[in-house]
Amino acid sequence: MHCFNFKKIMGPVKPFAKTLFIILILFAALQNKGFADGGFPVRPGRLLISPSVSYFFATQQWDSTGVKKPFPNGGKYTSIGITFYSEYGISRRFAAVVTLPYVYNNYMQNIAPTNNVSNGLTDMETGIRYYLANISFIYYFSLQASAITPLYGNNPRLGYGEEGAELKFAISGSGHLGKLGTYFNVYDGIRQYFGNNGPIQNRWSGTFGLSLDKRFANQVSVGLSGINSWSNDKNFISALPETNKDFSFIQASLSYGHSFSRELALFVSGGEFLTGRNTGVGNTASVALIYRLDYH
Amino acid sequence: MYNMIRLVKKSLIVACCLFALTGLRRAFAQQDKNGDVYTVLEPNSSDGIFNSTASYIFSVNNNSNTTQVGKVSYLVTTEANKKVRADSIRVKIDPNGSGRYSFEVAGLSPGFYKINFMVNVSDYDDTTRKAFGIKPNRIQSQYQKPADFESFWQKAKDDLGKVKPEFKVTELPDSMKDNRRVFEVEMKSLNGVTIRGFLTEPIDKNKNRKFAVLLGLPGYQVTLGPMFATDPDVAIFTINIRGSGYSRDMINVRRESYIILDLEDKNKYVLKGAVMDCVRAVDFIFSRPELRHDNIMAAGGSLGGFLAIATSSVDKRINFCSAANPILCDIRNLVHEVDWPFTDIRKYVSIRPGFTMDKALDNLDYFDCKNFGFSISCPTLIGIGLLDPIAPPNNVYALYNGIRSPKHLIIFRDLAHEIGTKYKEYEGRWMRDTFALF
Repeated sequence: MHCFNFKKIMGPVKPFAKTLFIILILFAALQNKGFADGGFPVRPGRLLISPSVSYFFATQQWDSTGVKKPFPNGGKYTSIGITFYSEYGISRRFAAVVTLPYVYNNYMQNIAPTNNVSNGLTDMETGIRYYLANISFIYYFSLQASAITPLYGNNPRLGYGEEGAELKFAISGSGHLGKLGTYFNVYDGIRQYFGNNGPIQNRWSGTFGLSLDKRFANQVSVGLSGINSWSNDKNFISALPETNKDFSFIQASLSYGHSFSRELALFVSGGEFLTGRNTGVGNTASVALIYRLDYH
Repeated sequence: MYNMIRLVKKSLIVACCLFALTGLRRAFAQQDKNGDVYTVLEPNSSDGIFNSTASYIFSVNNNSNTTQVGKVSYLVTTEANKKVRADSIRVKIDPNGSGRYSFEVAGLSPGFYKINFMVNVSDYDDTTRKAFGIKPNRIQSQYQKPADFESFWQKAKDDLGKVKPEFKVTELPDSMKDNRRVFEVEMKSLNGVTIRGFLTEPIDKNKNRKFAVLLGLPGYQVTLGPMFATDPDVAIFTINIRGSGYSRDMINVRRESYIILDLEDKNKYVLKGAVMDCVRAVDFIFSRPELRHDNIMAAGGSLGGFLAIATSSVDKRINFCSAANPILCDIRNLVHEVDWPFTDIRKYVSIRPGFTMDKALDNLDYFDCKNFGFSISCPTLIGIGLLDPIAPPNNVYALYNGIRSPKHLIIFRDLAHEIGTKYKEYEGRWMRDTFALF
């Protein structure tokens, strides 16, 4: 609703145009969101390295029907994971991605054996991400193909021991909420492990982030993620959750991120499993460091 | 020189304040409903573009205690003020009441039109002026570019190539700001004219870092000092074309005389040199190893928009073009639609023996923004205000529709010779995507 007359609009135009006209360029600062593994393209020549440490703890499980109950024999499951994630912008469209995880798992119970420890490198992921398209340079779409390589041939307690492949579609976008910047990441990936009863999995995630200042120096995000894994092998072993093939869960998480500089950021996250089937009722905490280096 | 920079900075701050104040006053005017009678115009199109029939709702609100009797009417004209449609209705609005009137304007051919809504009632008379477009993607100029247009500009570039640039770069440490180093740059351009500009570069720990470049081009008789921004990926090079700002050593004329300087001879016309000054600025960018030679954006508004289009057309080293409200588009049609610069040109023609308006237009064909558009090969963003009295939308669309490279045009329905924040944000996002500055 407006009420104005022409003179008020046109009055200052002519002298303004003839004496002073300059565009002050305001560059949209897209680059400081400070997260990895999203739908945004990777700058060519940019190397992103992200070591992270995560902690998982559970004393309860959801059974095959989704009923929550304690682990048998007072069982407690803890897992500490150290993951090295890296991505490198090969070109405008292509980026290389690698994930190298190491875990230390311990299932404790009140009968012998009281401690069941397994540790070692698990499934390495190497992939190529392709920048598909964008809408108005706000919403970005990418497709990522990854190979899954088990690095624990002689230790069946760390995973399926099967090679696999994953195809992941991601959408990311940025916007504003008042004067604060926002972003979101959504992805869905289908992963197939090859071999006998190798599960097929749907891995998905959605994250919404909000900057606490204009430059994304501080940000918070909330996320929801999950895995649905299907296999003819319905076994569930509390002490070896990594080897379970038929399960599902949904996890909610909350993160805080701080950028120390353009190159370095730290993210702290906490999460809780909301629902599941054939899986532990877990709580998670993680710390991730993100370091970016531009070679161009 | 440092004192001059400070003076320019102060002037810009004052100008920005004035601009902010002007905008504030207008914003208040749009929301002013305190009067006894006020009107509200609601176009049924967010950008003022219609496919076939333009439609509006015009409301008259009567907050007074008296009945308002009179008429509500509209008048549609072409950009050249030729009457196209008109209609009116008698109205009677009760005290503390209102009336809503729907207007539909059908059967118009593709193009842009001015539309005035008038209310004339017992205690109030007012006119609300707007513009709208019908199928603007079909707009094409009936005037072709000169057959030797390309060879004219190729020769201009060849002539520029014969002038040694003699780049002089002087760092101005006292002007550092926003984590940027500042350099004053001096060089020789066409006909040996000295031009000056300013380069600001982000300070980066990586000594091998290369920066994308924004080449900032000036509006009419605008002095460009160093331009700052917190963007760590982009260097900004602002150039003062000949006879403008800090480049007045050989050409220093009154403001109104600039656009007509040597118009009798297209080979000597001031804008030929001005476009070549911009090409020389690109030569300078190419002389700097710390600047990316494949990530150059030419940007400007008004005359700066013209220069951005012209430079991107004649110099393929430009990788992204941004032109807001570019002037001098489709000049032979423009001559009947706008006052400036043709009032100044007519005066000049009238005092030059043997010089005619036809000859002036023949020469201006080589400087018609529309004629440059055909050979632009880089992504191009254009912004227009529908109420622009200097760069009317009809004429800018004649340019836009001729561009064959990836292009986008943003319309500001209620603005005149200016663009809004939406343009700047889109420009930044597209530039970053084009240069892969993710």
